[in-house]
Amino acid sequence: MSDSNELTAASATLEAKVTESRPLDTSVLNKDNESIELVSVEQWIENVDEFSKLGVGVIVKPSDDVKLLQDTLNNVTLIALDFNNFDDGRGYSQAYLISKRWKYAGEIIGINAHLDQLQFMLRSGVTSYKLLQDYEGFDELDYSNGFSICYQAAANNSGLKEKF
Amino acid sequence: MYQYSPEDTKFLVERVDQFEKQLKRHLDGDLDAAKFRSLRLRNGLYMELHAHMLRVAIPYGTLNTIQLRALADVADKYDRGFGHFTTRQNIQYNWIQLPEIANLLRDLSSVGLHAIQTSGKATRNITADPLSGLTEGEIADARPYCELIRRWLNLHPEFSWLPGKFKIAINGAKLDETALRVHDLGLRLVRNKEGELGFTVYVGGGLGAAAMVAAETASFVPVEDILSYLESAMRIYNLKGRRDHLKKLRIKFLVRQLGAEEYSRLVDEDWKQTRDDLELKLNLTQLSELEKDFALPIKPLVLDGFVDKVDFNYSIWKKNNVRAHKISGHSIVNISLTKLGEAPGDATSEQMRILADLADQYSYSELRTTKRQTIVFPHVRKDQVFDLWKSLEKYGLASPHQGTLAQIVACPGGDYCDLAKAVSIPIATRVQQRFNDMDKLLDIGNLNINISGCENSCAHHHVADIGLLGMQKNGEEYYQITVAGETLQKTVIGKKLGPSVSGDNVVDAVEDIVNVYLDNREEEEKFTEVFKRIGIKPFKEKVYE
Ligand code: HEM
Ligand code: SF4
Repeated sequence: MSDSNELTAASATLEAKVTESRPLDTSVLNKDNESIELVSVEQWIENVDEFSKLGVGVIVKPSDDVKLLQDTLNNVTLIALDFNNFDDGRGYSQAYLISKRWKYAGEIIGINAHLDQLQFMLRSGVTSYKLLQDYEGFDELDYSNGFSICYQAAANNSGLKEKF
Repeated sequence: MYQYSPEDTKFLVERVDQFEKQLKRHLDGDLDAAKFRSLRLRNGLYMELHAHMLRVAIPYGTLNTIQLRALADVADKYDRGFGHFTTRQNIQYNWIQLPEIANLLRDLSSVGLHAIQTSGKATRNITADPLSGLTEGEIADARPYCELIRRWLNLHPEFSWLPGKFKIAINGAKLDETALRVHDLGLRLVRNKEGELGFTVYVGGGLGAAAMVAAETASFVPVEDILSYLESAMRIYNLKGRRDHLKKLRIKFLVRQLGAEEYSRLVDEDWKQTRDDLELKLNLTQLSELEKDFALPIKPLVLDGFVDKVDFNYSIWKKNNVRAHKISGHSIVNISLTKLGEAPGDATSEQMRILADLADQYSYSELRTTKRQTIVFPHVRKDQVFDLWKSLEKYGLASPHQGTLAQIVACPGGDYCDLAKAVSIPIATRVQQRFNDMDKLLDIGNLNINISGCENSCAHHHVADIGLLGMQKNGEEYYQITVAGETLQKTVIGKKLGPSVSGDNVVDAVEDIVNVYLDNREEEEKFTEVFKRIGIKPFKEKVYE
């Protein structure tokens, strides 16, 4: 469909189509290849003490308010940010807050990640990632590190000449 | 004039290389249309049924003649010999072939031009006053700030996937030629009581179906703190902006939903935590280097005994198209590429090359583009304006209609645009035919008529003296009329006059409105001044009597 037809169709139906009901991942392999159980932000908040002892990770959806995690962040074993929805950029601000502002020391893994967004994820503060299956066989470096320079401070500018 | 450094140019090329790989993956079936759409829009590429449109940025509306010739070459090599200057300091090409896109972009990168973030849900080309640096009473030239903020937003890791598009304008002049308060975010350069330089920030303006004037969210942000403020303003939008409703994606809907006060409070709360962050301070060393790069290329001139030529057509043209320059001995010259009855903003490659040659000869190789889709020669010696006019006349670029009511801003409308509800350009032509008497045009003076073919408002009809918006009623074309919109002194969205008017009657209605203005005008009063004094009623009565 052409761009303008797409827009016409879009304005004809005022349907909200962003919130998809996809089951959340229940576990993830961390960077040491250990399987970590994941709980939702709501579950975590309700049972902080218990889950802290169990060493679980928290899965964060774009619509989650990460401020709810701020106080107990250091008890969380791992944070998994869900980047499945390509156009929903809230994960980048969540990564910034958790990593740069609140200085979370654990692993921040971007799950259901897209090849073309690796550079944005990694610079926002995501420390490891798991691509969706569609991207097997492509050179990740082209997208995680395709530039020589960057123009802004970020959680992670390694390998880039900074100009700002 | 400012030019990109080799490392900036390398970045542009790296961006093209990456986009070329993405395009190949898409053509090979390895990248689906929806994701590719999101990526290509961020590289300025629109795909229509029969051809592809590329939008190239003209940062802060300033071009040198090498760049303009490169744009002409692109028009010839990759398009059909045309380009279209838009209302937001971009140029669009309408007939681009996909396999050629990377080479086209590489050609442009060699002269410091690009299509990065000219579309899509990202921060767009930042617009500046086209007369930046030229007018008396300006607080500061906005362009160095535009450039620093443009760089900072280039592939910003946090703000490249916003809820909707995000347009920023910066003005440092007394008059607001940028219409900054109908932008998602507008920055006005100001000085505080201590004489320090900073910005007043306005957030949440926009045109389109729900036209809104942006609210002031900060009265004074010191220049060195502007990046941290912008970061917080955009972070709140990125996290809280509506993503669930396709017609409510822009920040204006968030600001309206939260209330400007609550939005500002959230921004301030976030900003408190980063304001002192040294990494986010504007780099004042780079700023002063840029100020040197953007410094005017001219010195004051004393033209002893200079008397300008007397010529009827020249005088008419000069009255409407030549303005005072703050540096003595110089003038600012406005040039319209549009002949009556043509789509405003269209330029042939030949016209671009003529303008480049003339700018080399008369304007220190520099040009500006404006939101009225005209070209400005920023620095012309007063004693050369007549010679320039002669040359422009020779090439048909000095129509005396320029700057009068007959110079109408119209979007492509029903003749060219799939989204249109009604035609625009034929209405413009009929209005021009109605007002074809030069004496009358000169008497009316500068009165803006803007015509959009649908609510997307590409022609900015809300902020014109007379705005026409195309719509459909029972399968026929009708026009909603708004009057007395303005942006120069302050920002006002035009008022709806009454029920929409049929295509057959709309030109009569425009004439009625102009006549009410003329009948009530005292001395040199402008349209909006008369409107403020007499109100909407006389206009209404005349049109709907
Ligand atoms: C056939 C061609 C065109 C199509 C299909 C088109 C489509 C659109 C659409 C869909 C929007 C609204 C986007 C949104 O608010 O999310 C829009 C806005 C806009 N268009 Fe166009 N357009 C076309 C031509 C033009 C031209 C030629 C110009 C410039 C002269 C232009 C200038 C603008 C501007 C300035 C806006 C933003 C208005 C605002 O501030 O909200 N467009 N266009
Ligand atoms: S205002 Fe509407 S009709 Fe006119 S160009 Fe824009 S989208 Fe098309």
